Amino acid sequence: MKLKTILMAGAMSIAASGTWAACSFENDVPLKSLSAGFEAWKAVTDAMAECGNFNASLDQEFREKQPEAFAASPSLYQIGGVSNTTLIPLLNAGTIRPLDDLVEKYGQNLLPNQLIKVDGKTMAIAMMVNAQHMMYRNDVLADLGIAEPATYDDVLAAAAKIKDAGVMEYPIGGTFKTGWNLGQEFINMYMGEGGSFFGDGNMPAINNEQGVKALETLKAMTDYMDPEYLVSDSTYVQQQFQQGKIAMANLWASRAAAMNDEAESQVVGKVTMSAAPMGSAAPATTIWWDGFVLASNMSDEEADAAFRVMLEGMDEEMVSANNDAAVWLNPAYKAGELAAGAAASAQAGAKAYPASGPMGIMHTALGNGLADFMTGAKDAQTTLADIEADYITAAKEAGLINN
Amino acid sequence: MNFRTFAAFVGPSVFMMLLFIAFPLISVFKQSFYVTQPIYETVEVETCTPGFLTQTCVTETVSQPQLDEEGKVIMQTQYVGLESYRNVLEPERAWRAISEGSWNVLSTINFWKALRFTLTFTLITLPLVIVCGLGIAVLINNAAQAIKGPVIFISLLPFIITPVIGVLSVNWLFRGDGILTALLEWWLNRDIALFAQAWTIEVLMMLYRVWHVAPFAAIVFYAGLQTVNQDSLESAVIDGATRWQRMKYIVIPHLMPLIIFVSMIHLMDSYRVFEEIVGFASQGYVISLQWLTYDFLVPDQAGNRSISRASASAMLTMIGIAILLIFPLRRTWRDHKGGH
Amino acid sequence: MSSRALRQPLSLRLTSNIFLAFWCIVAIFPIFWITVMSFKSPVDAFDGNALNVIFGPATLANGKGISLLDIILGIGVIWGTIALVTKKMPGMIKAYSKEGQEWFGWVIGILAAVVAFLIVFFVILPAILSILNPLFGPLGRDILGLTTEHYKTVWIDRGFSNNFKNSLIVTTGVVVLSLSVGTLAGYGLARSGSTLAFWLLIVALIFRALPPSALVASYLPVFISSSEWLAPILGENAPTLYGKPFAVIAVLVAINQPFTIWMLRSFFQNIPAELDEAARVDGCNHFQAFRRVIMPVMWPGVITTGLFSFLLAYNDILVTSLLLDAQNQTMVPAIVGMFNRETTTTDQVVAVAAAVSITAPLIFLVLIFQRQIVSGLTAGAVKG
Repeated sequence: MKLKTILMAGAMSIAASGTWAACSFENDVPLKSLSAGFEAWKAVTDAMAECGNFNASLDQEFREKQPEAFAASPSLYQIGGVSNTTLIPLLNAGTIRPLDDLVEKYGQNLLPNQLIKVDGKTMAIAMMVNAQHMMYRNDVLADLGIAEPATYDDVLAAAAKIKDAGVMEYPIGGTFKTGWNLGQEFINMYMGEGGSFFGDGNMPAINNEQGVKALETLKAMTDYMDPEYLVSDSTYVQQQFQQGKIAMANLWASRAAAMNDEAESQVVGKVTMSAAPMGSAAPATTIWWDGFVLASNMSDEEADAAFRVMLEGMDEEMVSANNDAAVWLNPAYKAGELAAGAAASAQAGAKAYPASGPMGIMHTALGNGLADFMTGAKDAQTTLADIEADYITAAKEAGLINN
Repeated sequence: MNFRTFAAFVGPSVFMMLLFIAFPLISVFKQSFYVTQPIYETVEVETCTPGFLTQTCVTETVSQPQLDEEGKVIMQTQYVGLESYRNVLEPERAWRAISEGSWNVLSTINFWKALRFTLTFTLITLPLVIVCGLGIAVLINNAAQAIKGPVIFISLLPFIITPVIGVLSVNWLFRGDGILTALLEWWLNRDIALFAQAWTIEVLMMLYRVWHVAPFAAIVFYAGLQTVNQDSLESAVIDGATRWQRMKYIVIPHLMPLIIFVSMIHLMDSYRVFEEIVGFASQGYVISLQWLTYDFLVPDQAGNRSISRASASAMLTMIGIAILLIFPLRRTWRDHKGGH
Repeated sequence: MSSRALRQPLSLRLTSNIFLAFWCIVAIFPIFWITVMSFKSPVDAFDGNALNVIFGPATLANGKGISLLDIILGIGVIWGTIALVTKKMPGMIKAYSKEGQEWFGWVIGILAAVVAFLIVFFVILPAILSILNPLFGPLGRDILGLTTEHYKTVWIDRGFSNNFKNSLIVTTGVVVLSLSVGTLAGYGLARSGSTLAFWLLIVALIFRALPPSALVASYLPVFISSSEWLAPILGENAPTLYGKPFAVIAVLVAINQPFTIWMLRSFFQNIPAELDEAARVDGCNHFQAFRRVIMPVMWPGVITTGLFSFLLAYNDILVTSLLLDAQNQTMVPAIVGMFNRETTTTDQVVAVAAAVSITAPLIFLVLIFQRQIVSGLTAGAVKG
């Protein structure tokens, strides 16, 4: 029995690699791509592989490898998967090529929204957007007569009510893992308060009222969170949701589908996606995108083939097959209830993540420095001052601040 | 053995170590005194990024590295002396904290925080590993012949398991409502969150390390126990020595070279503690020197990395290990000279 | 305990055995637990209640389970394999392989054992059980939730066998190269009393103590651009070292050299120097003495050292994750990638299954070489 299924599976995979039914052309130029490894990239690169002669590296060290590999001549990878932040080093080093001629030749079906333009030149093609937004348990909130929380004060009030009613001990979940996640939470809050990160000459400017307010909101939330919040990442929060342990969380749109996954979720249909809670100026979230770039160190024929394979990767067929895996930028994408939260946040004026060289350093400094405030080792002012000092040291070493 | 033959024997090994360890080491040493950075210019750029339905375009001034004619980033390298060491050690801040007698402030400065943990970790796990290893070795040696094989096999498992996997599995057992935490909660009848404060994480890390390394010590000691002189043990019994005395005056001295060997390996490895920090995601509470180096080294999302500080921190870590190793090494020197 | 004088009182033996049993439980529990988790549906695997994880009600509800009969026969087959491999195999290998070529016999023997076990356990046993289970009534009814689907996902859908192959290449390369270079150096160091030899050892020790992440990061740019800077020497065919297993093997061997030469040096020191001096008197030079006299008696120490090299290469993540691309990726970085990827709970259990999969060969290896490790260490591979 089992052997048979194994043999069948083997035979089918051979059959699958032998035909290019799903790809509109047969690619005969050997191509390689390097990207992050999350679900959406898996779906896209699988679709690209249908064209043949294509190898995908879904590598968790891609941030480290990409700038080096693209700088090699010829580039070790023709196609790169980037996000708004990881585009920066490639852009800075000038190792990716403008795509305007290729877009004109093949990209009739691309939405204008997908073209990432820098100084009027198309440097990347976006395939999906992502943002953190509110997810809450509609049954729990309805039982207690709580309206959809629109601000963080609402969230905290709702949490207090849920806790007092004895429904849950820790109603709020949060991706507060020290490092990138925690830094991101602060950036959400701070942008919601309308703060800006830098002054003149890339000098940091976060030690202000908005910064303190953002920190205090974060701290206030932790009263209603599992005390192990400093180690909880998106996967952990998602799991807490699925097991019915938390009622509210500001979680990534790409995680929404997991709430309704029958195989592992105990709260199917009970989670509503809504806009990220408002700060005093904007929704406390940032919008991210993921997409493709092509290396400049390769021949035009390779670029031509790479562009066509890339388009196959994000065609309608792939999008309809993986509709809920991400918020795709594609006419075929059906924005269902799962995308409602991300869309509502955007409607309410959520800003794009302010990706830049200095911001990369700032994000790291925040991620490492905030834990001292959360554990109570430092007060808000000292924490922000120390983070600024940290940032200045690193920015000087990177050459972004002149001595 | 003359020099030529000696060189022929050790040649390949030395060549590989030179190529892959010594040269990178020299470059790390050099980099700790230099800073290499692109030259940035400020330009105004219009960037368009996708929103949900329409594009948002913003015009802003950004710092961009200058490129040369071939399109490569122009890098400039400048000598900074001990600047990077100073940036890692933060002596002014540390000194202020010490002179104010404020231990709390000192332990929020990265390097000192890391040094504190690394030393505690190394010095607490060292005796634990030796004692546990010795204990297990004696227990195995005492066990019936029939079960010795299986027991040695089981004892070796924690040592051979891939460290990353080991840390993760301990993580699952204790994190959140992991079953061992659930068991503890049920037993003590109170809510326990082991990952919510520094000391529990530290204890967990040390326990994991002892679990992982004690089998290595045990198996080495067990091998050593096989060669203990049975006659002297028996004559000690006849002289009326207790078990403890026999252990203390015959077995332990016999095992001393092995104890030093295990201590040395353990000092080196635990001073570089790293997997535990990443696996337990503990960097909010405790960090180690090796983690600090790593953190300087990994590029952030925009590709910036602090190579110079990473090199300085790596050199400082090395100096630390060298100091710790002086004591066991003096013995090796004597042995080496005495052996010929 | 051969001697009457050293016999222990019952109470001491009892406490000693209780402690030993306790240690065994502590040693094996985490590994046992992830193995259990890997066979359950995601809901069961991360359940807070230990009994739910073990019995897997949700897994059973999905119709995936095994009966008492399955368990008994399964354990029987595993136990039989272990007994056969540890008791019979060494003898058979000795009997059938030529003198001096026993390692070849071992390779064949191990391969045969693995293949036979896989066929019996996953093909023949299920076939027999599907006939027997209905016949035995209550004994044949499913009582324990258990599913092998995660293993299927790992090995078939995720192409983990490719990572396995790469791991095999890298580890074999590292062990072979590391031992051949290391035995020579270890022997040289053991037989030379010069100060140079001592300082070489000390420097090696310092190398052993180096924090590796700083070194490894400096390889990456050099390896990626190697075809450019090697071009003047090698011309057109200059390889890109990045992503090549042989480059990674070289790096791992170098990193492992300090430990290897220390181990082997102290092992060779315990082989009486008179042995090779006698050979030299008979007219052999140092190399001939090494080959004729030392090589035949060095195997216990070499096997032990080889096992440490094996562990280092097999368990490495730092070098392999950075210097290999996805096509040549080994198992450990692949698994860590699975965990760090944005994952569903199902993916987590799949990763657990992968983690168990990479532990299995290690366990198998220790099972076979256990006796050699102890005897190798006893023979003096670790005299300070």
